[in-house]
Amino acid sequence: MRLRAHPVAGVLALAAVGFLWIPILAVAVNSVNQNSLMISWGGATAHWYARALHDPNVRTGLTTTIEIALGSTAVSLVIAVSGALWWRGASARARAVYDATVYARIILPEVVFATALFFLFLKTHFPLGIAAIIIGHSVWNSAYAAVIIQARLVSLDPAMEEAAADLGATPWRAFRRVTFAALLPGIIAGGLLTFTFSFDDVVTSYFLGGSAASPLPLVLFGMIRFRITPEINAIGVMVMLFTVTLMGVAVAAFALMGSAGRGRRGALAEFYGQ
Amino acid sequence: MQAATALRGRKADSGQAAGTGRRLGHLLVIPTAAWTLAFFVIPLVLITVFSFGTENLVTFNVNFGWTVSNYASFGSDLYLTTLLRSLALSLGTTTACALLGFPLAFFISRQRPRTQRVLLACVIVPFWTSFLVRTYSWVNLLQTDGPADRLAFGITGHHLQILYSPASIAIGMTYSYLPLMVLPIYVALERISPDLYAAAADLGARPWRQFRRVVFPLALPGLIAGIIIVGVPAMGEYVIPEILGGGKTLMIGNIIVGQYLDVGDYPFGSALAVSLMVILMAMLFALRRVQPVVEAR
Repeated sequence: MRLRAHPVAGVLALAAVGFLWIPILAVAVNSVNQNSLMISWGGATAHWYARALHDPNVRTGLTTTIEIALGSTAVSLVIAVSGALWWRGASARARAVYDATVYARIILPEVVFATALFFLFLKTHFPLGIAAIIIGHSVWNSAYAAVIIQARLVSLDPAMEEAAADLGATPWRAFRRVTFAALLPGIIAGGLLTFTFSFDDVVTSYFLGGSAASPLPLVLFGMIRFRITPEINAIGVMVMLFTVTLMGVAVAAFALMGSAGRGRRGALAEFYGQ
Repeated sequence: MQAATALRGRKADSGQAAGTGRRLGHLLVIPTAAWTLAFFVIPLVLITVFSFGTENLVTFNVNFGWTVSNYASFGSDLYLTTLLRSLALSLGTTTACALLGFPLAFFISRQRPRTQRVLLACVIVPFWTSFLVRTYSWVNLLQTDGPADRLAFGITGHHLQILYSPASIAIGMTYSYLPLMVLPIYVALERISPDLYAAAADLGARPWRQFRRVVFPLALPGLIAGIIIVGVPAMGEYVIPEILGGGKTLMIGNIIVGQYLDVGDYPFGSALAVSLMVILMAMLFALRRVQPVVEAR
């Protein structure tokens, strides 16, 4: 006899799924809603999309965000890949220290970490702006990338590399054709994930951007705090489509339902699950 | 013979190469070690040290000295209330996520593989969409004359009036953190061998007993992982109370940001951040102590 979910669990489950999707549907509906107070349906319009696309703050914000996301992804991948390769040859104690620092970088509330880094930059007179944000994002992003790349590395049998060496491959060639090839899906998935996390970040950017840089989430945050504007919904839908496409690629790259597409803190869920 | 020598030669070669590789391999720790030390460990040590310092509010010079005055002002009503509110909101959010998340994870784990994938996508995809925009959507759903309010007015004849209150922050946080509770519980449930259900059923356990004696104990490590991933970051939440609290209802994260970016009182801001870190470490430690006990059962 198969244990079935009780109807009560079914009702609660469907309620939870509805709860997760209603705000997203509301964003999509209001992005084409003529009623600017978003209280009721006032007919369809593309006005908010046009306004969002022509807003100079949104445009510069988007450029800044992409620069930051690309920079922090590159830095994070270098850190995560070299760390993962080191991890394989490390002693159990060294591994434990490494794992603990990865874990700490993920779980520490961003407010505490951003405050501390802001203070360091202030004391060392390091200028706030794009470079500072890239450094900040790469601290937690490299930890997420490390978790994903490591999951990939565990499945790589060292015998494969030994076989390559025995067959006469130079160490560099063996690395390129065996180790790196095996890691590549993890690198792609990790890279796309870190890109989207960086793309969506508010707190670290808020502290480290100073007056020099305001990426898109900070532009949106400013709009949200000071006025009600349906433009936000249009930007939200466009950002969603962009992220969903990126993450779709990430999932495809990392095989179906691997530890890829689980969102920033969702990667942590995977980390715990192991 | 010749072949054997050649083989031995190559073995030696590859052994040597592996040795060099291993030594070079140890250097690979440098990027991650340097980055973590410079931009994670040192800043945290720095704010801990400066949280015991004092600041000249005119010149913004921080004097280093061992004073606990920053921690003493933490005990004042405003900060204590905010800290307690943050604790309550974190606890409430975690409880709500567990109450919704467990049935959802269990329901998903009991479906056919294809249905499971669709439902999991339903849980994960909202996670990929802009966090700010999703949170902002609740302002519009909960506002007076908004959809939720009209529904409530239609049923009870009273307006909802929960926007910009702790209740709306709790709703926004539960919403944002729910997938984080579902995923580890689902992973734990997924690992339960079908044989265990069969064995329990063969031994005459009824469904409720199967759930209580087999499913729940085995899902408990996942539930604890979910509690950690939801509860710890929820304590330090900044963006959700900023948007859904309307600047009136604050959490400790908002006060830390305010002390840093608006007031500029760095030692006090640091004392708040360090206190939050210590509280969270204590919580984590406590939860970590529970986990082995649970697993041993």
